[in-house]
Amino acid sequence: MSLLVDIATSALEPGYAAAAARRSSAASTRPRALLVCGTVLAATLLVVIAAVQAHQRAPAASRNRERLLAQVQAHDATIAALQRRLDAARADTTRLQDAALASTAAGERLSARLGSEELAAGTVAVTGPGLRVTLDDDPQGRNRVLDRDLQGVVNALWAAGAEAIAVDGQRLTAESAIRQAGEAILVNFQPVTPPYDVQAIGDPVALETSFGASRSAATMRAYGQLYGLRFHYGRESALSLPAAPGLSLRYARSEVTEGSR
Amino acid sequence: MIVALAVAIGVTLGLVLQPTVPVDLQPYLPIAVVAALDALFGGVRAWLERIFDDKVFVVSFVSNILVAALIVYVGDKLGVGGELSTAVVVVLGIRIFSNAAAIRRHVFRA
Repeated sequence: MSLLVDIATSALEPGYAAAAARRSSAASTRPRALLVCGTVLAATLLVVIAAVQAHQRAPAASRNRERLLAQVQAHDATIAALQRRLDAARADTTRLQDAALASTAAGERLSARLGSEELAAGTVAVTGPGLRVTLDDDPQGRNRVLDRDLQGVVNALWAAGAEAIAVDGQRLTAESAIRQAGEAILVNFQPVTPPYDVQAIGDPVALETSFGASRSAATMRAYGQLYGLRFHYGRESALSLPAAPGLSLRYARSEVTEGSR
Repeated sequence: MIVALAVAIGVTLGLVLQPTVPVDLQPYLPIAVVAALDALFGGVRAWLERIFDDKVFVVSFVSNILVAALIVYVGDKLGVGGELSTAVVVVLGIRIFSNAAAIRRHVFRA
């Protein structure tokens, strides 16, 4: 502490006192006004430059931020448009496929198999009864739902016998990942925002019983009491889940088809 | 009077010319400003205490800025630029504060 006291007590340059003492003993010299003015000018200039610089840089930072935001929004819009085109193209493909397959008996069988596999893979929209689970951050904003909480809930729902699950409108498939990226949670590489709405299609009673007894549900209930996270679930008579954004397997090949060819 | 003129000229020059500081020198700007303020407040206090000396004023201004810049430069090279900047700001800040307090006592007698 004595250091700070020293700084405070000898705040005035000791040189001034020494110079005053010298001056009183010797003949007094006239202050060189020009020199002093030059220094004062330089010091003022420095302060003003710093102020101007700070003033100019602040709007630049916010401008950059706005530009980035606009870019993100534009790209989001592009993605949505492309997604719509993809959905339309996929619907066309399915229609043409069905028409082509319907012409023969073998085609009919293949079509039926394709339909059930598409259903299971999550590439078509589905409806049915099920369970709706809602998770939300602490209303005071101190604690947040993490990716692993969502993962736990989704895994518990699969384990409870769910046939199809969507998180905030993102259908889960064999390729889906739920992961944290900074402050956001990505599902199928799309950001989802709280409250997280998890919809699972399956036998509502069995789902509710089994999910309610799961460890994940118990954990979320405990988080609710300890950290204020919101968590509730209830049966729904009709849920409709969208199709997954697309399954494109680039490396995996079907053994059956390859063998039969 | 003539000092007030110098301040006015400084402000006008800064506002009219709007000089941009080179990027390389930008880390030194805040430190230089604090050092300049320290020299200015010291000068005003000395003037009020009737011991003002032009040579001490000019030398303290120049040396304060140079030493502050040197400390930041060395700190940057050593990877502790932020901490040394903080040290300079703390020391000069305390000095500015107590000089300002002394000036206040002189001006308002309180």
